[in-house]
Amino acid sequence: MNNALPLFSLLDVEKSFPIDGGRRQLKALDGIRLTLHPGESVALVGESGSGKSTLVRVMLGLEPATNGRVVVGASDLGQLDGPQRRRFARDVAYIYQDARGSLNPRATVAALLAEPIRLHKLRDTREIAGRVDELLDQVGLPRATRHRYPSELSGGQVRRVAVARALACEPKVIVADESVAGLDVSVQAQLLNLLRDLQAGSGLALVFVTHDLGVASYLCERVAVMYLGRIVEMGPTADILQSPRHPYTQALMKAFPRFGAPLTISLQGEIPSPADLPSGCRFRTRCAQVQADCTSIDPAQTLLEPQRHVACLHPLPARTLQPFPTQTTTSEH
Amino acid sequence: MRNNLLSVENFTLRRGAVAVLDDVSLHLPAGQTLALIGESGAGKSTLAFAAMGLLRQPGIGMQGRLMVGDTDVVSAPEKDIRALRGQRMGLIFQDASSALNPCFTVLAHLSEPLRRHRKLGRAACRERAVALLESVGIADPAGRLNAYPHELSGGMQQRVMIAIALACEPELLIADEPTSALDVTIQAQIMTLILDRVRALGASAVFVLHDLALATQVADRAAVMYAGQIVEEGPAAEVLNHPQHPYTRGLRASAIEFGATRLEPIAGVVPPLSAMPGGCRFAPRCPLATSKCTEQRPPRVERGASTLACWHV
Repeated sequence: MNNALPLFSLLDVEKSFPIDGGRRQLKALDGIRLTLHPGESVALVGESGSGKSTLVRVMLGLEPATNGRVVVGASDLGQLDGPQRRRFARDVAYIYQDARGSLNPRATVAALLAEPIRLHKLRDTREIAGRVDELLDQVGLPRATRHRYPSELSGGQVRRVAVARALACEPKVIVADESVAGLDVSVQAQLLNLLRDLQAGSGLALVFVTHDLGVASYLCERVAVMYLGRIVEMGPTADILQSPRHPYTQALMKAFPRFGAPLTISLQGEIPSPADLPSGCRFRTRCAQVQADCTSIDPAQTLLEPQRHVACLHPLPARTLQPFPTQTTTSEH
Repeated sequence: MRNNLLSVENFTLRRGAVAVLDDVSLHLPAGQTLALIGESGAGKSTLAFAAMGLLRQPGIGMQGRLMVGDTDVVSAPEKDIRALRGQRMGLIFQDASSALNPCFTVLAHLSEPLRRHRKLGRAACRERAVALLESVGIADPAGRLNAYPHELSGGMQQRVMIAIALACEPELLIADEPTSALDVTIQAQIMTLILDRVRALGASAVFVLHDLALATQVADRAAVMYAGQIVEEGPAAEVLNHPQHPYTRGLRASAIEFGATRLEPIAGVVPPLSAMPGGCRFAPRCPLATSKCTEQRPPRVERGASTLACWHV
């Protein structure tokens, strides 16, 4: 898999926004290194304000990076010409955080799904109706949904339409921003299974933005944990859950509500403002393992073990025992 | 049953002709915490708001009994409800950023219940407000009194809401999804804070939650609601860790845990309240359903420490 050219390579990407009338810079992303290979699934996880959505916007070319390079295939994202740009728009499908808001309320589901097919000239006009039915089948919506308007659909159905619309352009990668947030557990589980099956079955790559480490671990084979604009830990999901090496990852895991475990406050205080980053390590103000040099040295994202990046001066020791007994849910109907 | 702080008996609430809550019965002993669990449309928030006396409006019909202490919210005069609300009962809303009035300062918000119920003057309000903010873990409480809601983070806004709800030291605190708008790390802080304050006051609490694992962490008892009815009720650890009702089992199988290999979601969706099936409301989605289920409403049966409404347990 890793022999193929990566779909995306982010090389030391930095994104700053001017604040206070341009007198200061707010660093929303700092030293981001991330590659995505065909067929791979990566979750971007972090609290609000960690820069997840900004990272996605830079990856999609919606915001130019202030420093560093975003390489798509073999070329720089900023230097694509017209036809390459259109090809990129087809290869990379984006599912917006606000799925309902992203769909034209005056268009039927059929029209919404036909639009990308027509735009990218993927089917003959006569074949479009059949393709729309195919897409509806694929996301588990009844074909009669084609005549509906977004306002007539439930929250779960709207997300399915958004997924179908992303699939319509036959992309190589789907980028989804909080696509299951705010749904009921049973609907969320249905949608997660759909995304997982689509991804596993079709060789699609997936970038999934979520604040929920549980969702990330269910859906993605790789996790990148972000804090204040930096990837603080990245690696295979199972390894990270087994043995987090960054104190922030460990804290996020402890805060995640679990059956049979007491409520635990794993982090004091709140995420600092990105306009006022702490000196040295940006996590030091909330870190339980903080030491003297953390105030002066800003740890970069470094390769700690094969496939595991950690940005910490004093990473947690690697654990071999299993910290979380994998409970199987009761479903003996 | 004098020691029940909240006592709901055969309570039905209709909006127009639609029964939003249908024959709900529930008891909460004083000093305990209860989690109302279920998906949207189950009637959790409606039950919580009804208990606060917020649904005594034209177009809404209530039957049965909904006792908070010795006041029946269904039939008591408005004067009695006003004495209850904000004084003996406090409410924490889901989204603090929209529940707080953007035009008023933190001090103005905190002063309202103190003036109305405690008849405190300006200086006394100020003094009490500082103490309240300190008790909910806000640093520099005196400096925050004149802040407007938009100047506070989401977590801080929720802390202010908690301070308002607890201003008059209520016996019953109702919290409607108090942390659904917050990050998990802040969620743990806020839930711990609410539990600490409730215990310090010797009060009871009702949490409306959708997160089952969180419910086992914060509640003594749990009531699982589906389409306006309570389907399973009992000790939280019992109900949520060893669910017996098919709906609760389905919820549990849909809940994400680290290392989950495959989620088994409940098929289908909740039917609209205007087209509720007769018999058991869960029957159309239930893997155990038989013809009996679609014809007759299931009886309430006791199984161990839990009570459930199902033909097949």
